[in-house]
Amino acid sequence: MQVVVSVLVLGIFFTIFIISDTRSYKQRKVEDTITLAQVIGSNTVSALQFLDEEAARNILMELHKVNPDIFQAGILDKDGNVFVHYSKPGSDSPDVFTLLKNKNSLFRENHLYVKSDILNGNELLGKIFLEADLAELRQLNKSKFESAALLLLLALGFSVFLAMIMQTYISRRLLSLVNTMKEVARTGDYSKQIADDGKDEISVLVQGFDQLMEKIKENLRRKDEFIGIASHELKTPLTSLKGYLELLKQIEDHSLSRKFSEKALNSVSKLEKLIRDLLDVSKIQGGQLELNPIEFDMGNLVDESIASVQLFSNTHIIIREDDLKNTMIVADRQRIDQVLVNLLTNAIKYSPGEKKVIVRSKVAKDELVIQIRDYGTGVSSEEQHLIFDRFYRTRNTSVHISGFGLGLYICRDIITRHGGRIWVQAEEKGSTFSFTLPLHKLAAKQQTLLNLSNEQNFSSR
Amino acid sequence: MMKNFSFIILFTLISVFTVAQNKNREADLKAVFIYNFTRYIEWDSSDVSENFIIAVIGSSPVTASLNEIAKSYAANNKRIIVKVFDRPEDIGNCQVLFIPQKLPWSLSSILDRADKGILTVSEQEGYASRGTTFNFVPVNGKLKFEANLKSIASAGLKVSSQLLKLAIIIQ
Repeated sequence: MQVVVSVLVLGIFFTIFIISDTRSYKQRKVEDTITLAQVIGSNTVSALQFLDEEAARNILMELHKVNPDIFQAGILDKDGNVFVHYSKPGSDSPDVFTLLKNKNSLFRENHLYVKSDILNGNELLGKIFLEADLAELRQLNKSKFESAALLLLLALGFSVFLAMIMQTYISRRLLSLVNTMKEVARTGDYSKQIADDGKDEISVLVQGFDQLMEKIKENLRRKDEFIGIASHELKTPLTSLKGYLELLKQIEDHSLSRKFSEKALNSVSKLEKLIRDLLDVSKIQGGQLELNPIEFDMGNLVDESIASVQLFSNTHIIIREDDLKNTMIVADRQRIDQVLVNLLTNAIKYSPGEKKVIVRSKVAKDELVIQIRDYGTGVSSEEQHLIFDRFYRTRNTSVHISGFGLGLYICRDIITRHGGRIWVQAEEKGSTFSFTLPLHKLAAKQQTLLNLSNEQNFSSR
Repeated sequence: MMKNFSFIILFTLISVFTVAQNKNREADLKAVFIYNFTRYIEWDSSDVSENFIIAVIGSSPVTASLNEIAKSYAANNKRIIVKVFDRPEDIGNCQVLFIPQKLPWSLSSILDRADKGILTVSEQEGYASRGTTFNFVPVNGKLKFEANLKSIASAGLKVSSQLLKLAIIIQ
């Protein structure tokens, strides 16, 4: 667009330049030719006075010899009769006398016609007429148009070059904006701000984007705040409800009532778990999730977690396929238990109709890897990085699973805080969820404890 | 150069051509030519006489035409006086002497009387080669004139090349 405009402007500029130049050239040419006519006229004064046409004709012929651009020349005497007329052999010019009847000069088909009085003092002796060919003007115009075209091409090249530089400048900034947008869409990290110190429309756009991010962040913060408050408020009556139900269960001897209170207690436990998840998420968002690292045997924890999940499942059998003994790690035992239970529960939930879930663990270099393999519906490759996001529910509609979609999000946060990684990979049937925990050498353990508690302080700020 | 000549010549020419309309066109034309000669010829500048005298020897229709011109116009910024000398013996002070054709006197008797500084104009074939400075001759039915450079030089006159360019030169 810029290029088109600049070429257009330059084109107009050049055209105006050439037109005005041609005009001034013509003006000059008219003046020159009139001067020439006057000189020739004064040379023919004596010939006119002595009625010597031959002398006048000789003068005109010599004029043509000296100046071949003069195609036609003629003199009228003071009564308007043709005194002498000369025209270039072979030229078919129109009669110069009739052409210039009422004018002093005229341009016609690249020929200039001028008329001038022949004066001797103040005495009018006759009129001289000249026709000049403007081949020179044509030549001049041609070369001017050529150089204008050349300049135009140069200008075009230059403006294309400039436009490319501008384009790179603009698209670099736009790409940075787009990349940030993509990243925000992928990570959900709305605290991203783009710095752009330009003063054009793009920086307005970037500012708009930054403001939008700010607004979204604020709204999310309010939502999280609300979730935090709400879940906290819900938890209090729930805890007392649970206590009374447990009491009721103990003191009830009637079997039906006892069964009902057991069912009620189950529901309350589920509700409690949901509310706890919400509360955890709220803590994670607010940076208030605290870790209480201690040193413990990971093998024992795996066994405990399997046992507690197995307790509630009579459809699946959880098999442990390793012998992890005396593997001491430093971590928040309760949180790691939460992760294991969550992953195991998921493995059972997402593999209805199957029989087994396999737990493997191994030590690789300086980290511990725990893998939980199910034979269920699996996770599609598009979903593999999405399932760890907040409130993400699988698109697979063949199974309906209840829940908020918070479990894996919390797991990821806990593992990441411990300095580990969590991921999922698709298997031929089902999938494997894996996470790692760093294995610290005994000397470094004290340091790790320190670091972890520092991290908490930092994140709770 | 031309602008140095009188600026009233415009009117002169109008009247000159009006004169030329007369029946005796040839005489008028010769009178005009004689008048025009004076524009291209320089006389001795030491001549301080008051008038510019154009003389005619004997009778000629040109005299009347010259009188017409002399009525209103000047030559060399002086008033033109037309004089007629009846005989060669009468020839006296003048700047131009017109010698008509068919005179009863011999040319030499006239030229002997014409002093230095006199432009002699004749209208007889061969007269230029016989000593007059300018001589009218018809060429293809048109009026032309001969110029004798020797006579011009001996008369002490300066003739413009513009004029000589149009003349038939007699050496």
